[in-house]
Amino acid sequence: MARGPWTVTGPWAPSQSAESIRRRYISSALVLAAFLLPLFVLTILVGEPDKYFHQAHGFVTQWVANKGGPDWIGSAILIAVPCMVVLTLIQVLPIFLVWWEMKIAAHIQVRLGPMRVGRFHGVLQTIADGIKLLLKEDLVPAGADRWVHFVAPIVAVAPALVCFAPIPLGHAGLAPVGLDVGLLFVLGVSGLSVIGLLMAGWGSNNKYSMLGGLRAAAQVVSYEIPRVISLLPVVMWAGSLQLGEIMMKQSGAWAGFLPKWFIFYPIVGQISFIIYLISSIAETNRTPFDIAEAESELTSGFHTEYSGMKWAMFFMAEYAYMFLACALGAVLFLGGGNPLHSSLGFIPSYVWFFGKTFFLAFLFIWIRWTYPRLRVDRLMEFCWKFLLPWSLANVAVAGFLFLLRMR
Amino acid sequence: MGAYFKKVYDVARGLVTGLGVTLRHLFLPSITVQYPHEKLSLSDRFRGALAFHPEICISCEMCVRACPSACISLESKRNEETKKKDLSWYKIDFGKCNYCRLCEEVCPTKPKSVHHTKEYELSFTNRNDFVMDWRPDVAQPAGSDFGQIWARFMAQGQKAGINIKSNGSSTPSDPVAF
Amino acid sequence: MLSGPSFETKMERVSETEMLLNMGPQHPSTHGVLRVVLKLDGEVVTGAAMDLGYLHRGVEKLAENRTYGQFTILTDRDDYLCAMLNNWSYALAVEKLLKVEIPQRAEYLRVIVGELNRIASHLLFIGTFGIDIGAFTPFLYAFGREREMILDLFEQLCGARITYNYVRIGGVSNDVPDGWVEKARKFVAHMRNCLKEYDDLLSYNPIFMDRTKGIGVLKKEMAISYGVTGPNLRASGVPMDLRKDAPYGIYSKFQFTAAVRQNGDCWDRYMVRRDEIAESCSILDQALEGLVAGEIMGKVPKANLRPPAGESYAQLEGARGVLGVYIVSDGGLSPYRLHLRAPSFINLAMLQDMLKGWKVADVVAILGSIDIVLGEVDR
Repeated sequence: MARGPWTVTGPWAPSQSAESIRRRYISSALVLAAFLLPLFVLTILVGEPDKYFHQAHGFVTQWVANKGGPDWIGSAILIAVPCMVVLTLIQVLPIFLVWWEMKIAAHIQVRLGPMRVGRFHGVLQTIADGIKLLLKEDLVPAGADRWVHFVAPIVAVAPALVCFAPIPLGHAGLAPVGLDVGLLFVLGVSGLSVIGLLMAGWGSNNKYSMLGGLRAAAQVVSYEIPRVISLLPVVMWAGSLQLGEIMMKQSGAWAGFLPKWFIFYPIVGQISFIIYLISSIAETNRTPFDIAEAESELTSGFHTEYSGMKWAMFFMAEYAYMFLACALGAVLFLGGGNPLHSSLGFIPSYVWFFGKTFFLAFLFIWIRWTYPRLRVDRLMEFCWKFLLPWSLANVAVAGFLFLLRMR
Repeated sequence: MGAYFKKVYDVARGLVTGLGVTLRHLFLPSITVQYPHEKLSLSDRFRGALAFHPEICISCEMCVRACPSACISLESKRNEETKKKDLSWYKIDFGKCNYCRLCEEVCPTKPKSVHHTKEYELSFTNRNDFVMDWRPDVAQPAGSDFGQIWARFMAQGQKAGINIKSNGSSTPSDPVAF
Repeated sequence: MLSGPSFETKMERVSETEMLLNMGPQHPSTHGVLRVVLKLDGEVVTGAAMDLGYLHRGVEKLAENRTYGQFTILTDRDDYLCAMLNNWSYALAVEKLLKVEIPQRAEYLRVIVGELNRIASHLLFIGTFGIDIGAFTPFLYAFGREREMILDLFEQLCGARITYNYVRIGGVSNDVPDGWVEKARKFVAHMRNCLKEYDDLLSYNPIFMDRTKGIGVLKKEMAISYGVTGPNLRASGVPMDLRKDAPYGIYSKFQFTAAVRQNGDCWDRYMVRRDEIAESCSILDQALEGLVAGEIMGKVPKANLRPPAGESYAQLEGARGVLGVYIVSDGGLSPYRLHLRAPSFINLAMLQDMLKGWKVADVVAILGSIDIVLGEVDR
């Protein structure tokens, strides 16, 4: 084209060069390393946190006894402080998990994801989102069942918080409550949340919400069954329902090098783990099993009509359950706080626990951003006709193998 | 029975292949850029906002007739001394503009008095701001290629507090400015 | 209890066990502003009614007070995902009236940009169909990476990324810039590799196949009786492709096969488009190889274009079916009447019958697999 003397030499910065990309990646990695390495050294130097807690607890009890105070204060501290720590953890963890999911999803999709808030790769993005959600107007649709609509998020999120009580966040002593029926408690209480989803679906006076709520109920109740049965071999092998004990059973090594984690138990361990992983993804309503939300079909499913903090509570419940599923998987299949090899025992047990949990969370996220969504009826078929027979067969094989070893 | 296990194996393999693709992409560099900080370079033929040069225009109204959405209007007076038309004003409504280059193609002057630039960040808070008005007696900003559009943008940027360099760049060289 | 306002008249009454579900015009997967009213029994669709016209701009009427040259830019906005082919179909119709000779180089350039735009349109289909099924990632690969490359090529060629105004009456508006042909060759090679990636990630993904195989079957007879054209028809086993059957331009020079699948389900409609990308790549290879030097514009008056009185109909194989333009000229500056045969609109008509008996999730899959563009449906 013939152009005037005004050939455009303007304010357009050149496109990013390969060199600038490389520089940015290297600088990101350096910042990350500069932040993480001192933290890592610090955790090694500090060691297990519970010994400090017990020292402090002993000191306070002594002090109270010296002052002539009632003796229940000591036991109250022993219960209240770990519960507070875990409650705080569960409310802070979604902030990190959401950011992590955003970043992994972005990089899987060759995008950058949040980059602004917090200078380094948008680390404070979720906090900004949280503030936005706090400030949002709370809308209740006309004709909604106001009480059901109001209570639903609470019903959904409360069991998620309670579930963490018996989970050992490291070695066996780091569980807030050492329940003897820990596994049963976790599985039982986590099933309660579906009532909240059903209430949200009914209370919103929205057809999409109702379809979503019904789908959620059917799905969560169905997938509970293969999930529980897939955990039976672990319980049979460990001979206990207490999560700490199951974890302790997995310390040590098979044949000197293979960590004695249940996932490495021949055949049974892997099948159990895969069934547990699949049904856990379904339990947490994530793609490929997110039919309850099903953005392209039901707009947002059961939380279509929620906004602000009520919506955030559903969100928190979802991520708390995802973290719960990962934590349970880490404890039951990956040895919880046990190190990969006994020579790595100097790293504190909670670092191992959280490392394994976040590895499983990465698996969850990776699967979510790879697969399409199943259809409702095929989802049910998959549960009842595939997962259930396989998990039952797995229990039978496990029983047979354990019987052989007992001989 | 064998067919069943074959099917299970095939499905599992298909699923794992998909995971492989996404894992590979996890480590590839991003295709997106951070827009206000980084901008992609545009081709020389890019059809951005129109610029106009009243000192070249011969008021022939070819562009007015060529425009499909009637977004160009002008008024001229006949100059009895030079037997030519003198431009009084020239207006382009960017709210209507289709960015189709038909006006630039029919423009008979050399160089073209109306032509596309690479400016694409046209957003205004007022509908009237979309109408750009050129007059021969209003001086063009010196050293600028974009006529008054660009001058206006610079003014807007200054109001918004963006650090504008003396060369007319609104691209902040250091991201801290945002 | 559950009743719809005006749609009870369109469908038989809603019984006690059924409910009406209003999908759209604001819904994530209606690809624009289509409104579908579904009658549901549980999750199973027992009736469907379409509501169109939310995007009506009166393009055909606007043509009557635009000159012939000016109307080209409105065809860009008709089916905005393959604007080059829209430009081309309109140009063909006017050239038929003018009986003008098109230079060879312009013909080659038209084929190149047409096939590139067909690939771009199908890439968008692959991406959005993935989203409809629930997979978000393929969208970013197909739409965000490969399609952007095509748009970059178009930007270098004609200065616009969506509304090109490139294929003009009598030829094309710009010649290729330096190095453009090499870039296009590189893109074609890149595209072939990417198809393998899409296959791994989406096409042969077991969940995806489970969601699409055997869903929304469009029988051959039904497709023909509804006047369905394009990839939707070829997926039902009818090998109709205007590039083969009634070659326009210089398509008779190229060696290629029309992509045909037999079953007519959603997966076949997807795979036909995937195969067409491969076919377009091979056409592009030949066209880029054979690109001759010469003029790019035929002898057409620049201003005051007055085709002789009469009528003409020209059609070509668009990305969604047969794109036809019918012009009645009275010898004036603008068409007396202009009609666009919009393939999306005609393909959409069969949806009412197709949706019955499928689930809500399948509705989204079927709607996505038909690949409508609401800009073209409502015009």
